[in-house]
Amino acid sequence: MDFNPCLKHKLVRKSVREFAEAEIAPLVYDLDREARFPWEIIEKMRPLNFFGLQIPRAYGGAGIDTISYAVAIEELSRVSAALGLCVTVHNSVGAYPIVRFGTDAQKKRFLPALASGERIGAFCLTEANAGSDAGGVETFAQQEGDSYVINGTKIFVTNGGVCGTALVFAVTHPEDPRRRAGVFIVEKDTPGFSVGEIEDLCGMRANPVSSLFFEDCRVPGTHLLGRSGDGIKIGLAALDTGRIGIAAQALGIAQAAFEASVRYAKERQQFGKPIAAFQTIQNYLADMATEIDAGRLLLYRACARKDAGKPFGPEAAKAKLYCSRLSTRVADQAVQIHGGYGYSKEYDVERYYRDAKVTEIYEGTSEVQRMVISRAVLSQPA
Amino acid sequence: MPSPKRHIWVFGDYRNYFQNRVTLQLLSRARDLAPAIGAEVAAVIVGHDLDEYVGEYIAHGAQTVYVLDDPALKDYNIERYAEITARLSKRYAPEIILVGATVFGREFAPFLAKRLKTGLTADCIDLNINEKGLLVQTAPAFGGNLIADIVTPNARPQMATVRPGTFQEIPHDDSATGRVVRLPLPGDLPHPRVRLIRSRRLPQRAQRLEEAAVVICGGRGMGSKTKFKKLFELARLMEGEVGATRPVVHANWAGHDALVGQAGRHVRPRVLLSFGISGAIQHTAALANADFIIAFNKNPHATMMKLADVAVVADANQVCSALIRALKGRIRE
Amino acid sequence: MLKIIVCMKQVPMVSELPWDARTGTLKRELADGMMNPACKHALEAALQLKHGIGAQITAITMGPPAAREILHEAIAMGADRGVLLSDPRMAGADTYVTSDTLARAIGRVCPDFDLVMCGCHTTDSETAQVGPQLSETLDIPGAAYVEHLEIDGRTLRMQREADDFLETLEMDLPGLVTVTTRAYTPRYVAMSGLQDAFGEVDIETLGCEDLGLDPHAAGMKASPTRILDVYSAVAQKENLVLKGSPKKVVDELFERFGDRIGGAMGKDLTPHDHPLERGRKKDA
Repeated sequence: MDFNPCLKHKLVRKSVREFAEAEIAPLVYDLDREARFPWEIIEKMRPLNFFGLQIPRAYGGAGIDTISYAVAIEELSRVSAALGLCVTVHNSVGAYPIVRFGTDAQKKRFLPALASGERIGAFCLTEANAGSDAGGVETFAQQEGDSYVINGTKIFVTNGGVCGTALVFAVTHPEDPRRRAGVFIVEKDTPGFSVGEIEDLCGMRANPVSSLFFEDCRVPGTHLLGRSGDGIKIGLAALDTGRIGIAAQALGIAQAAFEASVRYAKERQQFGKPIAAFQTIQNYLADMATEIDAGRLLLYRACARKDAGKPFGPEAAKAKLYCSRLSTRVADQAVQIHGGYGYSKEYDVERYYRDAKVTEIYEGTSEVQRMVISRAVLSQPA
Repeated sequence: MPSPKRHIWVFGDYRNYFQNRVTLQLLSRARDLAPAIGAEVAAVIVGHDLDEYVGEYIAHGAQTVYVLDDPALKDYNIERYAEITARLSKRYAPEIILVGATVFGREFAPFLAKRLKTGLTADCIDLNINEKGLLVQTAPAFGGNLIADIVTPNARPQMATVRPGTFQEIPHDDSATGRVVRLPLPGDLPHPRVRLIRSRRLPQRAQRLEEAAVVICGGRGMGSKTKFKKLFELARLMEGEVGATRPVVHANWAGHDALVGQAGRHVRPRVLLSFGISGAIQHTAALANADFIIAFNKNPHATMMKLADVAVVADANQVCSALIRALKGRIRE
Repeated sequence: MLKIIVCMKQVPMVSELPWDARTGTLKRELADGMMNPACKHALEAALQLKHGIGAQITAITMGPPAAREILHEAIAMGADRGVLLSDPRMAGADTYVTSDTLARAIGRVCPDFDLVMCGCHTTDSETAQVGPQLSETLDIPGAAYVEHLEIDGRTLRMQREADDFLETLEMDLPGLVTVTTRAYTPRYVAMSGLQDAFGEVDIETLGCEDLGLDPHAAGMKASPTRILDVYSAVAQKENLVLKGSPKKVVDELFERFGDRIGGAMGKDLTPHDHPLERGRKKDA
């Protein structure tokens, strides 16, 4: 077992960090404040294949391994969690299901534009009455000859306001609980597709999370991903990879909060010495460092299993559960270490604090992760 | 005929004579060092229409001036100047050759050193003779955070380029006398392989942060974007340039062009004023070549205050205003 | 096709440096490395030539085994192959010996090169000497501090700023240039490039024997210069501390360092609001 990052992952980290610090960091404060999606940065990210990380080379992607993918998301999120979110959702739940379940024709048709970032991907599962429970979806896809007509409303769609290609869960077999839903590839220029208002959220404010409306939205049958009742299977597979991305994102936020805390603890003087000289602060920092390390190991193990072609669902769930939890804890601690300044928008830790929380909620709440993990635990022979 | 006496040579870099005083500064230092090794100091000058400079070099301390004055050498040409100097060096065997660390000097000296099969230390900030009679060449190493003392124990001549402004020139002395050795243009000088197509003096251009003699750096300790603007007023008064730390650039108080740091610009001012900067290594790595640092910070323990020659414990913003007022009173137009 | 060699060096990443604040020294051996910035600009210039007129780019570095990283990075950016000169006996070389070793390696791995490109200086030793000395060793024309270059047939035309002059220079290939960090802003590394750079790539590692280099002619032993001592720049500072009201400290600053500040500004800062002095001037 080798715990040293290989040269490749080191270089991925350095390269993404260099880009993020030079091109994204200067804008982060304003983007958060104005809740603005930075197309100008997206333009710079496109030629660097950030939108094709997990898409095969044949379709214009980078085809990079999953640890590299996680490192890239971590480093983007370390600077801007909202952009890290955009990229991970695009890759893991926007594009990956097409890579995994798409026909050759679908891959050729949809992947190049996703890989280049010309179209940003979104994943539309959540509805007013359905979240991780894909079976509860009410959006309906009525088959009419060779096409489907979709009606319904999706909410809290990450990248919703800017997506070019959306994967939409819709009911295809209302009578069959196991094969109730299918997944459709819907492009934003399809008549009947429209974007709702951008949500006013606590964190991740640069990501245009929105509702999407489908009103008699007609898509050809060739846009059905997999078979018409494959929705749950595709959804679960997408969420497994999605969790790797969210864990990486949570880790990136935690890393940023940790680094800010170390810096601040060394600089801030109280009672004639830097606060880092106080044991309480030292303990905080030690706990933060330990948790981040532990989370990282859990995450990379899940990635390695995925690349080895082994089942990685429970491992990804553990990584997501642990990393999102540590992220909120570390961000909370970082605010505490910064004292009053930490509560001020003058310092970045305030943003980390707001950004971290949602990692415990989306792509499966912590409660759902525990469900996945416990299921795996209980299915083991005693 | 090779002189039996040892020589310290200073290469005459006379382009931009009025701004570029480094040759004179080196003549002065060479005179200081010469007694320790029983040497005399000579200037070597190559080019055309040089009489004025020959006189100047003698007036500023050269005891001998080797002159190669020919219309064919009118343009500064590194290959030809290096070839000529190498031949002279082989003939006269100087103990030491010093070259000013101008852009020209920093290209010329490595060629010459390699041709003479000897060592060379770049951009020295001090020169001394040690107890073994060796030239101790003190140069910033590692981005200037470290300083190295370097010698060339065996190869000769010992060579160094020296940063302009390091030494004080000897005041002009009309009564000084020196020997002038005029040398003919060698007939077999090779054609330059690097051809000068055009050369024009650059117009008075916007001063670059990297080249400014006065640099004023500001950090988050300035307080706000509005307060940070005072630094620009101070810079105008001091004819300096404003630099900024990364947090300041992130907060948009200054443009990315102003970023002074490892990933930004490296500065080498004669005086650096640092306002409200804590002194993260990413920033200070770019300051190592500043000659004199005055830091202003409320926090006397900030790293920047430890790095400074003068650490002023005060609110960066208030002291900036006080400086502006004081300067307005002191500057004579 | 044009054959370009880009010489590059791995330098410590300052932001990552373990820095002992008490002694002010760097623990260099613990530092993470990066491609020297000016070398990256030289590589970018080479890549632009490659995309413009076609070229095969060989990246060469000399250093410890870990320096291999920058060759992968160079390949990720678009270089075609990498050569690592790594041998404990090459360690500690000064610029004289480094340029000898590089010249020998170039003769071995790409003797029919057209253009050698180097960064104008490194951020660690800052000598800016290896490029010019390498051209001298290879016996080819060389120009330093180049900001712009273009190739027309076998002629290389360059522009550079030197001591307040803007120079346009020409040389016939093969030749060598060192590139400043003012132009040729390096591209970011694309993720697909990184994926390729760790696939089947052409990176060879060569030691003294591979180069036919006498170990006695390599490394520190063969170098004409010797480092006597290295010490912290921080320790050199007197670090005078001034305290008091803004006005008081500013007055004290000018009183004690007015010459120095004025000297840098090119102005006389001695007080001139004294009535007596004004009177004297009028008289004169």
